Amino acid sequence: MSAVESIPTETSKQDALYQEINLNYGAALERLAWAYEADRESCRDLLQEIHIALWRSLAGFDQRCSLRTWVYRVAHNVATSHVIRDRRAKSRTFVSLDALDVEPNTNDAESAADRRRTLDRLLALIQRLNPMERQVILLYLEGLDAASIGEITGISPANVATKVHRIKNILVRRFHEGRHDK
Amino acid sequence: MTNEPASIDMKAIWQTQTPESLKMSTAELRQRSQKLSKKVFRRNLREDVAAAIVVAFFGYCFWSFHTLLLRLGSGLIIVGTVYVVYQLHARGSARVMPPEMALHTCLEFHIKELERQCDLLRSVWSWYIAPLVLGVIVFILGGAVAQVAASPGNVGRAVVMFSLRIAFVLALFFGTWKLNQRAAQRLQLSIDALMALEKESK
Repeated sequence: MSAVESIPTETSKQDALYQEINLNYGAALERLAWAYEADRESCRDLLQEIHIALWRSLAGFDQRCSLRTWVYRVAHNVATSHVIRDRRAKSRTFVSLDALDVEPNTNDAESAADRRRTLDRLLALIQRLNPMERQVILLYLEGLDAASIGEITGISPANVATKVHRIKNILVRRFHEGRHDK
Repeated sequence: MTNEPASIDMKAIWQTQTPESLKMSTAELRQRSQKLSKKVFRRNLREDVAAAIVVAFFGYCFWSFHTLLLRLGSGLIIVGTVYVVYQLHARGSARVMPPEMALHTCLEFHIKELERQCDLLRSVWSWYIAPLVLGVIVFILGGAVAQVAASPGNVGRAVVMFSLRIAFVLALFFGTWKLNQRAAQRLQLSIDALMALEKESK
């Protein structure tokens, strides 16, 4: 190994951190992008944008927070910006949990929910949520606890727990009714 | 997070999905990052080119017309266009994501992004409409005065044409302002909701 190679430069640290992120959070980031963008091409663009933003941001990573918090903050912030831009371009509207809770469900009944269908319903519901509630449920689905979700999103853990509980109730009720979101 | 509401294991279902994977080496990332910067640069350049065409056209008018009002109107439109383009760049109509965004929670970041957009829409009068409207009105007035000077017998027709043109321009600017205000109001509702959530979380 040459002398140059043995001294870790800022760039190599940045690259090494990025590789670590890719290894540990690559799949989670892909699921995140998919939850924000239903269109296949746009989803790839968003995922690429997230990776680029992450790699760029790592030059300033100073361990003020954990790498996981850093990754999720960057990813959700990029995705939220994407959603805001997209909403203006396509005049999309998002709904809050309150609206979803009282919204009548008029779809045809189905007898059984297989895994794929359950996932599709889950995705369909998540993609309609407003960005803040979407962030909370996605982080929950990735297995983070309320305190960690609070650190990433800025919402109090108690609020996180309430939101997650309500989202889960809505989902479960709909699944049990054998119906799904449009 | 207790009280799991039912038997559906959403976490397991969620985490086992395998969306299309995106594998990029760091060299490729660096390259794409540069490409993204270039894309933003090109988007800004498009605005510059459009402005340059307007400036060139009214520069020609300034040069070729000899009446005071037409020259004044052309000059004001040129200055107004340059100011609008400067504001577009300064306010970041097209930009790459700031690297320090990880230092903000998603809630803070979201509020900031919405406020930035809301501010852009709300102040459209001061940075987009006002700099252009005066020059356009003076230019149209200059055209009407020149028309009357060329054929003094047609004052009535010139007044009607002037009024119609002014009404069209004002309606266009008013419509732009109104649409932007409506969009800003919608954004403000989202900002208020997020701020309430932020307050609640402190």
